[in-house]
Amino acid sequence: MNRLILFYISVVFLAIGCGEEREPRIKVREGVGSDSLISNVVTRPVVKAFSSLIGAGIVIDEAVARRNDAGFLELHVNGHNKSYNTKRFRYRVEWLDSDGLVIETKTSVWLRVSAMGKSPFSFKVVAPRTEAVDFRMDTKKWE
Amino acid sequence: MKAKTLLIIILFSNLFAGCGEKTTNIDIVHDEGKPVMALDYRDFDQTASALVQSLLGSGALKKEDGSRYVVATGRITNDTMQRIDTDQLMAKIEEEILNSGQAVMTSAVGSGTDKLVHETRELRDSEEFDQSTIAERGTLIAPELSISGKIFQRNIRYDKKRQQVEYYFQLKLSDAKTGLRFWQKEIIVGKRGSSKSVAW
Repeated sequence: MNRLILFYISVVFLAIGCGEEREPRIKVREGVGSDSLISNVVTRPVVKAFSSLIGAGIVIDEAVARRNDAGFLELHVNGHNKSYNTKRFRYRVEWLDSDGLVIETKTSVWLRVSAMGKSPFSFKVVAPRTEAVDFRMDTKKWE
Repeated sequence: MKAKTLLIIILFSNLFAGCGEKTTNIDIVHDEGKPVMALDYRDFDQTASALVQSLLGSGALKKEDGSRYVVATGRITNDTMQRIDTDQLMAKIEEEILNSGQAVMTSAVGSGTDKLVHETRELRDSEEFDQSTIAERGTLIAPELSISGKIFQRNIRYDKKRQQVEYYFQLKLSDAKTGLRFWQKEIIVGKRGSSKSVAW
């Protein structure tokens, strides 16, 4: 009898998990999409608590610098938030000339960005001078 | 006894005098201060940065022949409850446009007019001035592009204790000859805080 119940529960869980249509470009969040074995009403609080405990945060996957048609260097930053909670942070980009010196500009201020939990994020920064050939970026918590 | 009381009073006075909030200079670059409900310099810095990046990144200031556009600052309306000098925003944007090397700003017309440009021309008939040093007729350059915009505010009651204040910064760049708009951008700065805070 116990075996039968266990089998039934397993089938139900598997059915929930298999019912999802996976389109990598579309994020279906909890409460919108179906629950799965990994993410359901029982496991979610545990996973979130663990994520907070280990201090999961954002990861920068790539930083692409390219010159736009107007001749300005553009920085495209792509990353993802490993945490289950929305991460808000600030970033500041300084532009460097061919000698590696910082170009003074009013645009080098701390700007805000937020990344939803377990989601990718991206932002773009444009150098205000054509002399910019490189950059350096710093981040800090958004209080 | 009297001396003791006097000593205690002096001690307390000194202690209280020391407890007052001391004045500190703000670290403008890495300010860790708490946000305020009204617009402060950080909001203007961040908004100006976002607007400049959008404008320059759009390529609207890049002239095909490689020469520079002449840009005039038009009217920037302050429709907030705060007394804002719109130059607080525009000075940063104008500075960055100039430094970009893609455009020059004009002081001949618009809200950035320099009175002296016109006053010196009124000296044409003055015998006190060497006439060869006074600008000739037809030397001013008309602007090709104009920047205009608006800053406005919406106050919303969020719940019993909190209010939400939304500030909208809108800027647009238009061709002075054709009236066509080449670029525009809106930045929203939203704040949520105590209803007791006054956002002006």
